[in-house]
Amino acid sequence: MASVQARAVAAPQSFVREKILLGMGLREYVRSCCTKGNAIAAAILVVGVPILIYRFIAGLGATTALSQTAPWGIWIGFDMMTGIALAAGGFTIGATVQIFGLEEYHPIERPAILTAFLGYVMAVIGLLADLGRPWNIVMALFNYGTASALFEVAWCVMCYTTVLLLEFTVPAFEWLGWKKLHAVMRKALIGLTVLSVMFSTMHQSALGSLFLLAPTKLHPLWYTPFIFVFFFISAIIAGISMVIVESMLSHRVFHSQVANHPVDIDKLTLGLGKAGALVMFAYFFLKLQGVIDGHAWGYLATGYGAWFLVETVGFGLVPALLYAYGSRNANVKLVRIGGVMGVLGIILNRLNVSVIAFNWNQPVRYVPSASEVIVSITLVTIGVLLFRWIVNRMPILREDPRFAETHH
Amino acid sequence: MSIGRRGFIKIAAVTAGAAGAASVSAASPHAEGTDGPSVLVDTTLCVGCRACEAACAEKNELPVPPESDDVMQERRDTAPQVFTVVNRAEKDAGTVRFAKKQCMHCLAPGCASACPVRAMNKTPEGPVVYDPSKCMGCRYCMVACPFDVPKYEYDSWKPRVRKCGFCADRQAKGLKPACTEVCPSGALTFGPRSKMLELAKTRIYTNPGKYVQHVYGEHEAGGTSWLYITDIDLGKLALRTDVPEKDIPSLVSGALSAPPFVMTLWPPLLMGLYAFSRRRTPAEGEGKEHGKEDHHG
Amino acid sequence: MAHDFLSIYPANLLEYVLAVGYLLMFIPFWRYVQGGKAKEVAVRVAEPRAAARAAIRAPRPTAGWFQLPGGIHLHPGHTWARLENDGLVAVGIDDFAHKLVGPARVELPALGELVAQGEPALAMGDEDRTVPLLSPVDGTVVAVNAAARDGKNGIEDPYGAGWLFKVKAPRLAANLRQLLTDGPARHFVEDAGERLALRMSPEIAHVLQDGGAPIHGIAHALAGDDWEQLAREHFLT
Repeated sequence: MASVQARAVAAPQSFVREKILLGMGLREYVRSCCTKGNAIAAAILVVGVPILIYRFIAGLGATTALSQTAPWGIWIGFDMMTGIALAAGGFTIGATVQIFGLEEYHPIERPAILTAFLGYVMAVIGLLADLGRPWNIVMALFNYGTASALFEVAWCVMCYTTVLLLEFTVPAFEWLGWKKLHAVMRKALIGLTVLSVMFSTMHQSALGSLFLLAPTKLHPLWYTPFIFVFFFISAIIAGISMVIVESMLSHRVFHSQVANHPVDIDKLTLGLGKAGALVMFAYFFLKLQGVIDGHAWGYLATGYGAWFLVETVGFGLVPALLYAYGSRNANVKLVRIGGVMGVLGIILNRLNVSVIAFNWNQPVRYVPSASEVIVSITLVTIGVLLFRWIVNRMPILREDPRFAETHH
Repeated sequence: MSIGRRGFIKIAAVTAGAAGAASVSAASPHAEGTDGPSVLVDTTLCVGCRACEAACAEKNELPVPPESDDVMQERRDTAPQVFTVVNRAEKDAGTVRFAKKQCMHCLAPGCASACPVRAMNKTPEGPVVYDPSKCMGCRYCMVACPFDVPKYEYDSWKPRVRKCGFCADRQAKGLKPACTEVCPSGALTFGPRSKMLELAKTRIYTNPGKYVQHVYGEHEAGGTSWLYITDIDLGKLALRTDVPEKDIPSLVSGALSAPPFVMTLWPPLLMGLYAFSRRRTPAEGEGKEHGKEDHHG
Repeated sequence: MAHDFLSIYPANLLEYVLAVGYLLMFIPFWRYVQGGKAKEVAVRVAEPRAAARAAIRAPRPTAGWFQLPGGIHLHPGHTWARLENDGLVAVGIDDFAHKLVGPARVELPALGELVAQGEPALAMGDEDRTVPLLSPVDGTVVAVNAAARDGKNGIEDPYGAGWLFKVKAPRLAANLRQLLTDGPARHFVEDAGERLALRMSPEIAHVLQDGGAPIHGIAHALAGDDWEQLAREHFLT
């Protein structure tokens, strides 16, 4: 197929061929997709997508283990709440670059925003799967249940996903070559970043506020009137940790893109680790304060207390120390391990608050059904596939030379 | 937290003649200016005939409850097709007590405050009613209710939240709720809340030693429309006894007052940081440089 | 949540003690995290080509092999702008461009000509071929370095005596925002150097790394007759 390459250089290709098929012919492209990784992803989709469709046909009872005492399961706890927390890299790195002016983090800004955008899209799909009457979600646009924290979550998520979409149009328009629109969006970026920090502050904390009204249902070690502060700070931690992990993976998987534009990802990782160390250190003490404020120290000696310490110390203080040690001694590997642990810690915290420590005093506890787990895995897989599709085509990890002068 | 709290109610005027009795505390929320409908459940009078279950099922077009009283051998809860149940417990050898469970129609209901689309709504007349046409099925009301009342039709493809509606339509016509209408033993008494509280306390005070010195629902969750007096631990009768006295919406109101502050403070704060960080670059000249700012309404 | 009244006292005291303890611990923690050697982590190129990799890791001056002084606002097309004391903006080519093309004639815009940021404004080259370069700022040309233009062997000292022309720049602040300075500029030039290094045979890389005089006309050395193509690639023209 050498002629393809020659033709690629010599004459302009059709939009589909150049932009979508990465310059290959259709048959060639399909053949290039037959990899082991794609086989696994396909297997997941083949099982998961029909289950998702079945859920919409047969209802929640047929596909989930939800019950009258456990109205929320992992589609809320993991897909929506954890998904949104782990997508916090969009506003943290966006603010770092655009507002604090730390331009050296620009190379990881776009992947972070893409991760955030896809994370929110997947979270919304997970939410739609969980809603009993998803078609009525538009009711939130016209009926203002303003006494509800969920109303705030719904509106802020809607607005923020829009902001993310607009931020994402910057690389998208570069890909499409729409220079004028691109210039417009590029200029809007600072305003969009301010909005993204604002909306993120509100809904990341509101996801915590959701549980304020269930003091008898959430275990006292996790329930505190300050839970909305905790959720916001841990969202920042989630953003930093997730970007460390995501940049590590992206630069390995997509190394061909970054080979010609070497980015000192290690230096950026160390910088993030430094910030992460300080925030996680403070967050650990915040959690302790929460326990004392709620007079709940007695529970530390129970089973749930041990579990609380696993989350707070094992996946909270330990990664903080790893970040500190690693960033001080320029040990990128330790910082990356800290990043993975930080991500796991956030997942653990959100799952604890929503399903594990929630309804802790009920005789019969919720355990997710196989279908729920498969659908969650499927949504994550779709998100990863979309991420890869976009990064392979659009200037996310690399710069588009035609627009280089408009970058910082 | 007293933000947005409806003020002191003029209960005093209504209950001028019942000084010590119906002292609805000033801090407890109440439907605007009215002394709402209420039911006093005296479990010492309930004989467990379950006529209330049958009447409720008939009025709401639900399946007829099981005939045999053997069902009471197990603790039952409300269900998507069962808006009220009577549970049974042993007081001591030979004496049994019964208690009816249904929606408590709180004065400041957690479910209504939780609903983002106001499908669950507290009417000014008192009852907390549900409108499925608005409901998107988030089930947050189920999370919010400290009494575990709302139930969900998980097996339907267009599921609804199900609970007692306090026969709001009957009350609008001046009738009593169906269950209170048919109760033969006088265990259920329907009337304005102040009167029911007065009645409850009168019974307690005039029968020293008979009742537990507590009116369940007077302060639970900030006060409910269904009040219980009993001579046995209500936990045995399948009613939740860990309900806090603070009304549910007030637990959230503090955190919810934050967004407007964030929306006001964050933009100048962040733009100030932006301007400050840009000042480090020489030859920039002016302090604040704005890109085109995107304003969402 | 309602608590037994008396337990408020120890609880609040404990909160204060914890907060003070945290503050006391925070100071050393901050210093610990911020401390540590400011280690220059080697810029990692994905597929290491052994010799070039070894060459790159050696200690380097300002921006890789190329000079890059402070106060310079660099355009990604390897031209620079600098605000002068008289309020005008001096424009020149950077050391990278200078070394890439080597001794060459420069063609400069005429006095009074309008230049625009990102648009071709000047050219360098030899007898048969020239390569255009982009202007880093918008403005009107008010001064031209005649020595640079007329000199047969091009310019020396690309940042000082080798300035090319000066413009009156009406939108300087906006223009400067699109240009690179300090850290990002250094990175950019380093990157450009890496890209060149990858094309080099290891021997040339070694020569440069030994601190020997950098070769003038790297483009010629690397690409021979296609030097113009290589140069255009870097100059974005």
